[in-house]
Amino acid sequence: MNTLCNKAQQAFSALLFTLILTILLSFQTVSAQPDGAKLFKQNCATCHKLDDTRLTGPGLKDVFKRIPDDEWFLKWVKSNTKLTASGDPYAVKISAFDVSTMNEFGFLADDEINAIGTFLKNPPAPVVGPTGPTGPTGEVHVEKGLDTFWTLVIIIIALIIIIAVLRGVKRSLSNVVNEREGKPANPDRNVWEETKVWMGANKSKVALIIIILLSIGSKMAWDAMFDIGVFTGYKPSQPIAFSHKIHAGDNAINCVYCHSTAEKSRHAGIPSTNICMNCHKGISSGATTGTTEIAKIYEAVGWDPKQMAYNMPQKPIKWNKVHNLPDFVYFSHQQHVVVGKQECQTCHGDVPNMTVAEQVSPLTMRWCIDCHRETEVPGMMANADSTLANPYYEDLHKKLAEKYKGQKITVDKMGGIECAKCHY
Amino acid sequence: MGTTKKYWKGLEELNNDPAFVQAQQNEFAEYVPVEKFLENDSLKDTSTSRRDFLKLFGFSITAATLAACEAPVNKAIPYVMKPEEITPGVANWYASTYFDGNDYCSILVKTREGRPIKIEGNEMSPITRGGVSARIHASVLSLYDTGRITGPYANKAPSTWETVDKEIGAKLSAAVAKGGSIRILSSTIISPSTKQVIADFISKYPNTKHVTYDAVSYAGIIKANAQSFDKAVLPSYSFDKAKVIVSVGADFLGSWLSPIEFTKQYSKTRKLSREKKEMSKHYQFESILSLTGSNADKRFAVKPSQYGTVVVNLYNAVAKLTGGSAVASGALPIDAQIEKVAKALVDHKGRSLVVCGANDIATQVVVNSINTLLGNYGKTVDVETPSYTKQGNDEQFISLVNEMKEGKVGALITYNANPSYTSPAGLGFNEAYAKVGLKVSFADRLDETAMNADYVCPDHHYLESWNDANPKAGHYSLTQPTISPLFAKPRNEGTRCAQETLLKWAGNESDFHSYIQKYWSSHVFPMQGKYMTFGDFWNHSLHNGVVEVGSGEDAKMAMGQDSSNVNASAKPEVAHKTTTVGGGGMFAQEVEVEVKEPKLSVAEAAQSISKSAKAGNIELVLYEKTGMGNGNQANNPWLQEFPDPVSKVTWDNYITMNPEDMKDKYHTLARYNQMEMKADTANVTVGGVTVELPVFPQPGQARGTIGIALGYGRTGAGMVADGVGKNVFTLAQVVNGTIQYTVSDVTVSDKTGNEHQMACTQTHHTMMGRSIVKETDLTTYSTQPVDVWNEKLLVTLGDKHVPASQSNLWADHDKPGHRWGMSIDLNACIGCGACVVSCNAENNVPVVGKEEVRRSREMHWIRIDRYYSSDMTVEKADAEGKGVVDKYLEMENPTTENPQVFFQPVMCQHCNHAPCETVCPVLATNHSSDGLNQMTYNRCVGTRYCANNCPYKVRRFNWFNYIENDKFAEVNPSQNDLGRMVLNPDVVVRSRGVMEKCSMCVQRIQEGKLNAKKAMKKLEDGAIQTACSKSCPADAITFGDLNNVESLVAKEVEDERTYYLLEEVGVKPSISYLTKVRNLDAEDIVMHEEHKPHHGGEEHKEEHKEEHKKEEAHS
Repeated sequence: MNTLCNKAQQAFSALLFTLILTILLSFQTVSAQPDGAKLFKQNCATCHKLDDTRLTGPGLKDVFKRIPDDEWFLKWVKSNTKLTASGDPYAVKISAFDVSTMNEFGFLADDEINAIGTFLKNPPAPVVGPTGPTGPTGEVHVEKGLDTFWTLVIIIIALIIIIAVLRGVKRSLSNVVNEREGKPANPDRNVWEETKVWMGANKSKVALIIIILLSIGSKMAWDAMFDIGVFTGYKPSQPIAFSHKIHAGDNAINCVYCHSTAEKSRHAGIPSTNICMNCHKGISSGATTGTTEIAKIYEAVGWDPKQMAYNMPQKPIKWNKVHNLPDFVYFSHQQHVVVGKQECQTCHGDVPNMTVAEQVSPLTMRWCIDCHRETEVPGMMANADSTLANPYYEDLHKKLAEKYKGQKITVDKMGGIECAKCHY
Repeated sequence: MGTTKKYWKGLEELNNDPAFVQAQQNEFAEYVPVEKFLENDSLKDTSTSRRDFLKLFGFSITAATLAACEAPVNKAIPYVMKPEEITPGVANWYASTYFDGNDYCSILVKTREGRPIKIEGNEMSPITRGGVSARIHASVLSLYDTGRITGPYANKAPSTWETVDKEIGAKLSAAVAKGGSIRILSSTIISPSTKQVIADFISKYPNTKHVTYDAVSYAGIIKANAQSFDKAVLPSYSFDKAKVIVSVGADFLGSWLSPIEFTKQYSKTRKLSREKKEMSKHYQFESILSLTGSNADKRFAVKPSQYGTVVVNLYNAVAKLTGGSAVASGALPIDAQIEKVAKALVDHKGRSLVVCGANDIATQVVVNSINTLLGNYGKTVDVETPSYTKQGNDEQFISLVNEMKEGKVGALITYNANPSYTSPAGLGFNEAYAKVGLKVSFADRLDETAMNADYVCPDHHYLESWNDANPKAGHYSLTQPTISPLFAKPRNEGTRCAQETLLKWAGNESDFHSYIQKYWSSHVFPMQGKYMTFGDFWNHSLHNGVVEVGSGEDAKMAMGQDSSNVNASAKPEVAHKTTTVGGGGMFAQEVEVEVKEPKLSVAEAAQSISKSAKAGNIELVLYEKTGMGNGNQANNPWLQEFPDPVSKVTWDNYITMNPEDMKDKYHTLARYNQMEMKADTANVTVGGVTVELPVFPQPGQARGTIGIALGYGRTGAGMVADGVGKNVFTLAQVVNGTIQYTVSDVTVSDKTGNEHQMACTQTHHTMMGRSIVKETDLTTYSTQPVDVWNEKLLVTLGDKHVPASQSNLWADHDKPGHRWGMSIDLNACIGCGACVVSCNAENNVPVVGKEEVRRSREMHWIRIDRYYSSDMTVEKADAEGKGVVDKYLEMENPTTENPQVFFQPVMCQHCNHAPCETVCPVLATNHSSDGLNQMTYNRCVGTRYCANNCPYKVRRFNWFNYIENDKFAEVNPSQNDLGRMVLNPDVVVRSRGVMEKCSMCVQRIQEGKLNAKKAMKKLEDGAIQTACSKSCPADAITFGDLNNVESLVAKEVEDERTYYLLEEVGVKPSISYLTKVRNLDAEDIVMHEEHKPHHGGEEHKEEHKEEHKKEEAHS
């Protein structure tokens, strides 16, 4: 987990660096000319990569060393079918080689296509991410919370040792003094016996201390009981170091792109591996972990990146579930997302900034009910605008508005905290 | 089962060393001196005191508790490639068809994440119209049956398909080379494609003949129709068009022909409303008290040997009124009554229907003649639209057995038939089977036939396979797989669709799916004109599950198609003309019938009847139970635990005998078997076959007759069914070429001295004078003011009497939104119990087994109370000066001769002032703002106060953890991974120590509400259905929002027949009942009034009686 944190931090800084670099570079190339890099990204990148690996189409590394000339490039991109039909030998050759036909880009202006050509002739240096943890603080990183705790323990132990030593010193010194003064030596009592003697002399103080300790103890026990089964901060490591930050944060992918059933079902759903492949067919290496983590997706889904085909055995990914509700609770995502119009972040926290998914809310019944006591249902709001007004609530709203004159009509007022809403 | 491999732990075991064998018997390897240890006095001096023990005990519990607080690591494993149509958490529904050789039903299958979990009716089917029976509801559990075999068997050992195919192929070819005949023995096949497959097989092996044989045969009717109409078919019946229904021994609501279809039709004629105050009149002549008889307006208990005479006398009476000529017949004590029945029939010419359950040609010929006299053909009986669901031909089967005995059959392939179990002992099928050269079975388990077969090639379950069906002329439907085969490679060798197996042997490698498509494109598609392309037609048919190819020309073509299809398979029969007679519902064979047998006139039929009607001292009726049927699903624990609608007994079959007979003839047997009590057993002997069964006192059973249910006593069905009850198919008799399920020559022994414990879910028999079921008769209902027949209960409030509905002990709950309620029409409810099994499936109701049912711990959330009428009433007892104990004891005894029967479904009444809510110390049960009495399992601590305080006794306590406790391993399907797959993931599985009860399918309510909210529209009435209301084949249960004045349920509650169960206790239930109305004859009404146990105001009663008397005089 710690390693992951570290990796993610590294990834972040690497990404930040790359971003800044890109931005700086892009500033340099600002001109009236069409932007080849941008056009390539918009039109070509879904099928072609800049290196020599194949995507839907061939990799375009050193493409201009293969094709006849710029003129051919222009014609081919505009309409490869026309070019092939005209009997151009190279076009015929590559059409025969590849079964899938390239799209036609007749809508691109000549200078735009040329700009792409220019871009392809001088492609940016490929970004190579680190392949493993290399940072100096890599594996011995200790979490702060634990740090203070252990320091405290060590200090306490040290203090106890010091006390014991000092006590011994004190006693021998006092014995020396007594001996010199001819008084009898201090009785050879151990700490426990001495404490007993002190306790015998100070009964009221002892009673007070016991009462205070008991009160503190009970309070702690009581609080601890309420935390049984509450796993706020639960942050299990995952079989694939998936980072929500990179996906939902940096790349701003909508939550429901992957968790698509949140709007259709009670389950938000862990995305099936084929959803990952929508993007990762093309993106085979990441900035932070290079190819190691993405390769795990390929392994799971049986994708052979060399042959660009699903020809390997499938191995389902066993994710560790972060948010666990007991079996006797029926929670419906679609109810909250579609009808209640809740943001995912309301319960799941700032996921776009989480490198490792973490349980933010306690997910206790009290937490549910507290929210239901405060939240208005969009379709039930007194001043709901027409887009939110839900005809389903029409009659109920009329009756409740009459009953709770002027008050907010919250979920609980319409039965949202009744047992059988969640338990059946 | 199992492998032939031998496993051993050591050589001693392998060599069976005597010392080892002895040691093996000991549970503990070394001698443990437990007793010696406990006797030791020095124990008292040990340092472990009781205090220390308790300290340690407490500490370990605390430690264990704290250790349990650790978060378990839950895994989430998503699909690798998610199928497009699956959304986790959302159910998919597929239209399909159920046909097991007996019941036909068009169904919808609910699947969750690819697992079928629930069956509902398909409302698009014009035949079953959305109805489903208990058996079909339960069939989804049969899919996950551990009794199924997971691959082919060769010579009783698991094998591979490759081996099996090779060996069988070689043996079939050898059989053909030797000139040996091949026979395919199946139950009724209504799949035209399957018939085509068989035809293909026959063209590859021309010595093959296909013999159809039904476990419970209807050959008699088919042959009688061949006699009467030159059509060897089963007609279609329309009970919905009949005003007068007469049934002689036909349990058409429970088991006869097509009970779901008939229940739908029947209940239509029984429903009443302010606008429609007329209903059908139903007469039943029968020996056992069947489900149909229990619902009859007038029932006559007759012996089975009298069925024929009843029919002939009815014919004579009808003929007398219609100007026909009478035929010779014997006299019956009920002849006067029969004349009245005839009068009612003749009064409703063309709107009446006479049916008979006897599998006897002569009797059925007379029934046909009665219907002809009444002009019912083309109106309530339709031979032009024949039903194909029963094609069994007893004569062909009998001659097949004879052939087998002579060693003439080279190979026998049994498909969907289990003759070793279902054939009469007198036929000697088992001995004959041993003489067959090659025995192949397609059974899904090693059943009674398959366990003696050379090869078992297991077929898929119907939910795993493609199929089609042609249940009636012009009606087609499709079966589609709703799960990929459970047993498949690589883990198992797997099952294989029987049709594909046959095709493979015939040298055709195509899969059955494309085969059906091919068949449909060439045969069914051309019969319709609605869709232009086959793709369109196929997709629509598959989506709807059913397709009608229309009437008129289309239908005729369809019929022609049906027959041409069968022609092919029937062709070889020409060679066996001497042994073949009609039947099979197939036109190709009609011609033969015409040529072969001279037609039977009514007079001849009557003569034949009087000749064969020999009354015995004790006569036997073999019947099918509503739940168990012919026993093909016996290994289904839902069906085993399903209480028989009439006897309320679970997990058994038994001898039903009239209690009076028990007292008079078998006085030692006069013992009521209830709950903890035991029943005496008796031996029943028929033709040398003796079966020992417990005797169950059944009021209404005709004197001098006994009844025994078929379908029990399986030996090869699986863990659940084996050893439950006794098989009585063996007692059936072959008479006049048909298999008879009534026997007049039976010996019943006195008690054997053995006892048998039975598990009955209802111990009380009558209502003991309380108005639990309110009933009236049609005349009173339609002519008298409502107060007379649905008297409002009065309670004393202060010094005033006010209607119970107006008194309120507590403040009403505020219900601003919905207010869920249910109305149950007791007139429509026939007590079939489809709702009980539907509820089982929907709500994960555990199966508890026979022992627990005996302790009244069955878990069904909905029960159907069955009450009989009693001779004794409160008034009568008071008049006779009987003591309280005697009074109630006698009231508890039903009228034994012919009691009236009442059915009442009871589930949680969702009281507005629920007594359970006020006593729960932890608020685990409380009230919701939409009127539900909620039960929160995770809060329940199991005090059971609520159950004690419930006036309806609908709460169920989990005494055990039924899904994990080893005690229930044999009965509870959820004990294994396979059976758990049927659980509904939307409903929590309850654990031990928790109270549960009907939730009004709150999961469905929540789903329906959410769908409406998401669609941004008001909740439509009917959009939410509970499992029971959706599945009721009689449409007796209406569920909806009482706050919505437009809803059907709100309107029904306003009906004047509405009453509440135990309204006087003031709990204000949300479930209301509609008073039962019987269509009684005038003279019965007076009698009935006397019988009527409860009646409110005395004045009313007097008035009422007088009015009736007046009416009587008037009429």
